[in-house]
Amino acid sequence: MRRRSSRWWTGIVAAVVLWAVAGAAGALAQRQVTVVGAVSADWRTMDPARAYEPYGAFILNVVYDTLVGMNPQDGSIYPKLATDWTVSADGTVYTFTLRDGVRFSTGKELTAADVAFSFRRLKNLKGNPSFLAANIKDVQAVDDKTVVITLEQPEGAFLTKLSEPTFGVVDSEAVRAQGGTDAENAAEVDSATPWLDQNSVGSGPYVLRSWVLKDQLVLERNPYYWGEPPQVDRFIFREVEDPNAQALQLLVGDVDLAFALTADQLPMLEGSRDVKVIDGPGLYIVFLLMNQNPEIGGPMANEKVRQAVRAALDYQGLAELFGAGSLTPHSFIQVGFAGALPPGRERDLDRARQLLAEAGYPNGFSVELEVPTLIVSGVDLVTAAQKVQQDLAEVGIRVTLRPGEVGVSLGRYRDGLQGFSLWYWGPDYPDPATQLAFLPGELVGLRAQWTAEHDPELHRLGQEAIVESDPQRRNELLAEIQRRTHDYGPWAIMLQMGRMTGARSNIDAAFHPRYGVDLTTVVKH
Amino acid sequence: MSLARYIIRRIILLVFLLWGATLVTFTVTNLVPGDPVAVQLGQSAMSDPEIVAAFKARYGLDRPLHEQYVMYLRNLLRGDLGRSIRTGRPVLDDLARYFPASFELATMATVVSVVAGVAAGVASAVWRGRVADSLVRVGALIGVSVPNFWLALLALYVFYFRLGWLPGPGRVSALTQLPDGTGLLLWDSVVRGDWALLKEALRHLVLPSLVLGSYTMGVIARTTRSSLLDVLGSDYIRTARAKGLGEGAVLFRHALANAMIPTITMIGLSYGNLLGGTVLVETIFAWPGIGRYAYQSTTTLDFPAIMGVTLLITAVYAVINMLVDIAYGMLDPRIRYG
Repeated sequence: MRRRSSRWWTGIVAAVVLWAVAGAAGALAQRQVTVVGAVSADWRTMDPARAYEPYGAFILNVVYDTLVGMNPQDGSIYPKLATDWTVSADGTVYTFTLRDGVRFSTGKELTAADVAFSFRRLKNLKGNPSFLAANIKDVQAVDDKTVVITLEQPEGAFLTKLSEPTFGVVDSEAVRAQGGTDAENAAEVDSATPWLDQNSVGSGPYVLRSWVLKDQLVLERNPYYWGEPPQVDRFIFREVEDPNAQALQLLVGDVDLAFALTADQLPMLEGSRDVKVIDGPGLYIVFLLMNQNPEIGGPMANEKVRQAVRAALDYQGLAELFGAGSLTPHSFIQVGFAGALPPGRERDLDRARQLLAEAGYPNGFSVELEVPTLIVSGVDLVTAAQKVQQDLAEVGIRVTLRPGEVGVSLGRYRDGLQGFSLWYWGPDYPDPATQLAFLPGELVGLRAQWTAEHDPELHRLGQEAIVESDPQRRNELLAEIQRRTHDYGPWAIMLQMGRMTGARSNIDAAFHPRYGVDLTTVVKH
Repeated sequence: MSLARYIIRRIILLVFLLWGATLVTFTVTNLVPGDPVAVQLGQSAMSDPEIVAAFKARYGLDRPLHEQYVMYLRNLLRGDLGRSIRTGRPVLDDLARYFPASFELATMATVVSVVAGVAAGVASAVWRGRVADSLVRVGALIGVSVPNFWLALLALYVFYFRLGWLPGPGRVSALTQLPDGTGLLLWDSVVRGDWALLKEALRHLVLPSLVLGSYTMGVIARTTRSSLLDVLGSDYIRTARAKGLGEGAVLFRHALANAMIPTITMIGLSYGNLLGGTVLVETIFAWPGIGRYAYQSTTTLDFPAIMGVTLLITAVYAVINMLVDIAYGMLDPRIRYG
């Protein structure tokens, strides 16, 4: 009996030791840090010259490098592939000096020729994002390290545009080998896109390892990366469209990051110590349009009425409705864009009622509010409209909601036929220049029939800001524009929508208004 | 008419059916208001006429309608289903990628619902009026009435989050590599002898199959029950009992086969439904299938993809129903083809 039991114990001890050793060996071997993210992405292509989806930049940003980068906190520009640059006096010629020792994931060294090829290809493919290169007249690789870009017109937003992943630099040799071209007829003959969808040839910190559309995308560390190596070796992005399913996966720990959560899921996450929310102000703004034309806008065309509306909105309540990170901007330039003034607006019901009385509506009035039946980041715009309805009722403005299908509403909105409506706006790229569309005589201004003649001075300020290449002078112009439009004009900017990402507690990552988190800052403990 | 000739006739009918499907789909999608160009291109791109022209040329949208249709048919006969406007890939590739996932899910859901539904229906009929009967009838009612997306979220919450018994959304877990193959994981894993993958695929199939099959399960249980009750009351069953046959033999040798005919019809119809209508379950369970693909194609007015999916589902539906009709003949020798 004793002999058997001592052999038995030896066996157990041996098994335990083996198991511990195996475990340790396994742990050593698995030093690779993998982070799994749940996304609900609209990715169509990984070709930087063709990709133009709101979610698309997320991946391209860490796979391809641009000449310069943009700080999302304040819109300032910093060097990336270009260490230095100069702008000509008339603002149309930009000369960039490239960094030394940059290599693509293919091993080839990055030169000015690659930059020129990438930009020309972007322009000539005439794809969705090609309009970003519309102002570029010519790109020349003067020598291996110098790129000269000539613009048609001076443009204050040019460097911001260059920081867009659309201007990611590709390995021209590799792309040409796959049928890519930067020639004038690239739109007809370039055939490199399907290959680029599965293989990346960038100089960024990560390489595209695999991508199954609408299923899973895998990024792996780029061994040739020139910059600070990130901690995470591998990212796996899984398509999980339903935000509730994403929240459950995050809580269980099957994913480390969840990118498509909405305010609805917050209560689920609040109770758990294993997860946290990384949030901040995003890029979208939600606003009310009040038509300048009295025949269409009725009372909404009256400036005092508009001021009353702006004073009557419950901005805090609206921000709560839209979730973590939302805030109220000073005017129609988002916090985080260059030159944005500090946010904040107060509700003042007394002032609103007084303004209405001065406008000739002491007992308020009735009006219809058109709103498209859209859900943006999990919030139903119709619900937002109901909140507006409630807020305005407190000062006597009796609002009737008129929800409409996007397909139909969009037409009326673009043609300037709406008297009073609610919409949201997403910038084409994160620069105030896109927001100047709200000025009189510009794209969105005209939708409220706000023409240049209504305020020539403001219109002129906008035109100046668009071409001003000196950042400081441009910020001054933008500040002036925002001050003037803070409480004047056909817009009531309701809020800047927040962006939130769910993360496990052992993950640290920096907030990013567009991507949710900056992937290069992710650290898994 | 012999079986072979019957099948040939059905196949010829199938071809006409498919052609009719292309005609109807093409007409309807072009009648619907909405412009795929506006859907696919952003605002700034749309204001550049060159970009719009390039886009239209790429997808043949600049030709008159009847030319587009003829072009489509001609390509179809060559096996080219065109290029999806939304994904930019050949539609055939997209279908090959997404169909196996839905096929596996719908088949599993059907198998589960048939086995469970028939068993429940039989139990309910045999023990009519007792507790088992009530349980089954209530259960079937719930299965038929509860919306499957709600059931899906509930199932995930209870079995994945709270109890941890079953895995979460997806066909496999994030870290598993999918093998190249047919895309049918159950088949691919068995063929390779990869038992770990088989187990994982099965575990991930449990919840979505149950949820997807809940409606069919309810319907089959009720149909089987009433059909069996009907049959059990007929003369030849009384004769069998009078002959002295045990209840088991009466049930399984005589009654069940005949009671199954309406049920088989149900299976045929619901299989087609399952295949096409999985979008909500696929969304919640992150299942990369044809339901989601069809939904996204429809909302973005992606004509080639819409046509491709319609043709595929029409074909599968027709084939399944042909098999069902053949099954009738096997179940009931009185039924002759033709």
